[in-house]
Amino acid sequence: MSRLREMATPAGVLVSVFILIAGIALARGGDSYAIRLATLAGIQALLALGYQMVFGHAGALSLAQGALFGLGAYMAALVALSAGGSGWASLSLPAAMIAPALLAAIVGAVVLRLETHYFALATLALAQLIHLGAVNWESVSGGANGLSGIPTLALFGIDAARGWPMLLVTWGLVAVIALDTAWRRAGLRGAAQDLARDHPLAAASIGIDVARHRYVEFVAGAALAGLAGGLQAHVVGVVSPDGADLAVMIGCLTAVVVGGRTRVSGAILGAILLVHLPEWFRWLENRQLIAYGLATLLMVVLAPDGLASLFDRALNVFRPRRRAPPLPALTPSATLQPVTTGPTLRARHLSKSYGGVRAVDNVSLHLRPREALAVIGPNGSGKTTLLNLVTGIARPDSGTVTLDSLSIDRAPADVVARAGLARSFQTADLPATLSTLDAVAVGAHTRPDEMARAVAWRALQRLGLEGDAATPVGTLPAGRRRLVEIARALATRPWLLALDEPAAGLSSAERAALASALSRLVANGLGIIIVEHDLDFLARVCPRGICLDRGRVIAAAPFAALRRNADVRAAYIGDAR
Amino acid sequence: MNTPQLLLSALALGAAYALVAVGFVLTLNAAGAVNFAHGDSVMLGGVAAVMLGVAAQAVGLTVPGIVLLPAVILIGAALGLVIGALGFLPLKDRPPSAVFVATIAIASVFEQSATAFFGPAPRSAPPVWHQGAQQPLAMIVVAAVVLGLVYLVLERTQLGRRFRALAQDREMARALGIPATPLIATAFAAGGSLAGLAGALLGHQFLVVANQGPGYMLKAYIAVVIGGWGSVPGALAGALLIALFETFVAASLSAVWAQALLYVAVLLVLLLRPQGLFGEPAGRRA
Amino acid sequence: MSAALHIESLTASHGGEPVLRDIWLSVEPGHIVALLGANGAGKTTLLRAVIGLVASTGRIRIGDRRIDQLSPDRRARSGLGYVPEGRRVFAGLTVRENIEVAIGGGGKLRGRRVDEMFALFPSLAEKLGDRAWRLSGGQQQMLAIARALANRPPVLLLDEPSLGLAPIITHEVFGRLRAIANDGVAVLLAEQNATRALAIADEAVVLARGGVAHRGPAAALAPEAVADLLVTG
Repeated sequence: MSRLREMATPAGVLVSVFILIAGIALARGGDSYAIRLATLAGIQALLALGYQMVFGHAGALSLAQGALFGLGAYMAALVALSAGGSGWASLSLPAAMIAPALLAAIVGAVVLRLETHYFALATLALAQLIHLGAVNWESVSGGANGLSGIPTLALFGIDAARGWPMLLVTWGLVAVIALDTAWRRAGLRGAAQDLARDHPLAAASIGIDVARHRYVEFVAGAALAGLAGGLQAHVVGVVSPDGADLAVMIGCLTAVVVGGRTRVSGAILGAILLVHLPEWFRWLENRQLIAYGLATLLMVVLAPDGLASLFDRALNVFRPRRRAPPLPALTPSATLQPVTTGPTLRARHLSKSYGGVRAVDNVSLHLRPREALAVIGPNGSGKTTLLNLVTGIARPDSGTVTLDSLSIDRAPADVVARAGLARSFQTADLPATLSTLDAVAVGAHTRPDEMARAVAWRALQRLGLEGDAATPVGTLPAGRRRLVEIARALATRPWLLALDEPAAGLSSAERAALASALSRLVANGLGIIIVEHDLDFLARVCPRGICLDRGRVIAAAPFAALRRNADVRAAYIGDAR
Repeated sequence: MNTPQLLLSALALGAAYALVAVGFVLTLNAAGAVNFAHGDSVMLGGVAAVMLGVAAQAVGLTVPGIVLLPAVILIGAALGLVIGALGFLPLKDRPPSAVFVATIAIASVFEQSATAFFGPAPRSAPPVWHQGAQQPLAMIVVAAVVLGLVYLVLERTQLGRRFRALAQDREMARALGIPATPLIATAFAAGGSLAGLAGALLGHQFLVVANQGPGYMLKAYIAVVIGGWGSVPGALAGALLIALFETFVAASLSAVWAQALLYVAVLLVLLLRPQGLFGEPAGRRA
Repeated sequence: MSAALHIESLTASHGGEPVLRDIWLSVEPGHIVALLGANGAGKTTLLRAVIGLVASTGRIRIGDRRIDQLSPDRRARSGLGYVPEGRRVFAGLTVRENIEVAIGGGGKLRGRRVDEMFALFPSLAEKLGDRAWRLSGGQQQMLAIARALANRPPVLLLDEPSLGLAPIITHEVFGRLRAIANDGVAVLLAEQNATRALAIADEAVVLARGGVAHRGPAAALAPEAVADLLVTG
């Protein structure tokens, strides 16, 4: 129920109402031209929805969407033309979807791991290849003139004629895709996706497989591009290389930038504007496209989240402030306590060099549940590198890391997290607009929302953050944001927790509270390894610790003894030994 | 065409591409982001050359194209500054993809403006030297002189040193008293002039048409990736390689195959050795 | 020109977290002030706040001139030399170019200043045409210091110059720093290596928990006492 309410954003309502009114107006007195234009808008909406998956949800700046649209159009045309009137013609749309999806699946497997500036070029090269094929592979594509005489869409023997039937089919598909996407993005799953896009390391540390997420969105976006292209072929009756042109890509990008990168209503709004603005501003003649380009530029600079977000934010000002969500039911299964005994973490002979410098040199340690281990050492001693090696952010040059019998030294960070070893980072990467409760609940993203929020509530309680549950995380002071990040790590219900400088930015009172909270968690079964500079803080939490200096372990002892250890003291003041 | 003529042709094309690619890498280093409107600066340079040639003829002057080049360079510089002011300056605290998208919008505006005011039909720019028989040679000479100047500035002047320092470590450069904004503005102006000049040179043989911008942009992008992201000599090497590849493949197979194989080669480079021939210099961003 | 550095009521954050609160600190010309403390205590943040790479509130003066409202490059030109943690020399530029690039003013002045720097650091003169990435850690540290001094600033800020250097090299670098201070420069030296820093410093300031935990003459502060403050508690 709350999900549905979340989906009904002001912009979404506005767009739905607009479409309804437009539909009625068309039914009353729309000529075939107006109907066709509305159909084309629907097709662009599908294309934009697909691009939102790639660019908006996955954050991948692909420049191939237009060419994939054209590919879909050609596939539909070829199937429909060769099928004649037979039943095979029903396959035109599936073919239009499958070809781009297959291409995206193959190419995406290799190019998605590239950095943005390389990825964009790879998709641009792919787009150019498709366009070249369309122009030059004349026997198949009809060359520069393309293919014409494409029959109307046939679905299982029923003909969808141009005009009203195609309009309804197109907008029906838009409605289905839009609602499905909005449903998938509502609640915590959307927040988890946004985290994967904006802070991939943080997302991996709560068990999200970021690469898989990007891949799925890329292929799905390609399939939608193909579907849109296929529909275009049936509506217009002609396909030509212009349909796979860079102009289509720029139009699609414009629609998403102007309408909104992540809101479904934004994609639809952007598409409607893209198709209709040139019509409404015909009196500008040639200049209208110039104006459109300038408007896009303005949007990027002033309202990077698009018009849909602007509407939502403007209208939210007038909405009464949403009350805090009701406290989730605290069922026994919502506790953070592990039911059985967790695994032991063992690092053996870990070494890692960066550019000839030994950052970590033959370090071994072990950590059992119900234990707290401190890792201390002067600046540059390798503490954070060690933590990265143990949690899968970096790969050791030699040595092993195991959780009982499970080897994790070659495992990526998300696998390590799912195996029950969570961590916090020095930079608390939290989505600023989410409530604290939701920001923490993202950690439990594999569960249904109510359960995830219940777990999050428990985590907040543990760390004394209940009062901030409804507050947007971005407005919290920096120290409390660090605590929220730790709470998020706890929400994954880990066996073991790795903390990187958790006390930084906290006041004395907050440090004392955190120390007590951590001690209680350890007593309840959690294993903690902490890298920290505040030795007084560590003394309250960790009975034992190790000290690193220049990548090596120079002492391992009960914590009080560690602090009095002569080698440790010398390391901290640079006494050459 | 025989091989020496082909080679001359390829070098001339490479010379023009080198101007485009070096201009591109200068703005890349200054802004830390891709300037998608760079290719359209090339196109507008060609447009300027055509219009100036037409204007000169209208007043009865028959001048070799070389006289028009300084004006084209100035126009290119102005375009570069406009792109920097609109597409980079307001977005310098945003991720580089925002600049990418903004410059795509600017490129679209440039292209639509050219279509509206220049017309969609391709036109030829005046040759550099009279009848144009020595156009390839003229292109090489002009490009060599200009690129030589760029080299001298980068390697021998304080401005060039500061620019290179800024490109390697912007924060540190500022902490040493090097002001970033004038350098970035200069880089955009220089990038624009090089692009405009290339457009004027290419416009004689390859014609000027409003929608050719993204094509040149793509060549520069590829050159920079092949040569090593952010490397100026790399961009030059990449540009020459592309021109040689295009010319010889076009001669043996066809122009279409030249393009197609180029894109396939790019995809292979990205998959196998994305850091390019010269590698990424320290401290690069997207 | 010599002038003192005055830091008054400085509060600064690091990534949104308040790390330093109400810090007061002065460095007189010819003096070395050793800024000690564990990592995370705020040494780097303090120096970055002085050069303006990190936002801060409070007053910062060089002599009588306030610089806290200026951008980093203008602060540098007002007389701050900055040697960051990790040296950060311009790897692709030659040794000579690294020094030249920092010098404002015309070609003749540049030539003179470069010569002065090479006289101060003879080992760099031997390598003047080499790209900076080829230098050893100690040589890069010298280069970073020469680069910061090239404009003859009255104030020199150094962030952990001993990091990653062998003890012998550290000794040499610190010897230079003492000579530079003796020439009239006001040196603020943030160091984790308290032993070495105290050996050349005139005053010591120990940071902990965002504030000054100890302040006094360097001679009166034994390294063991620093270990007590930082480690044993």
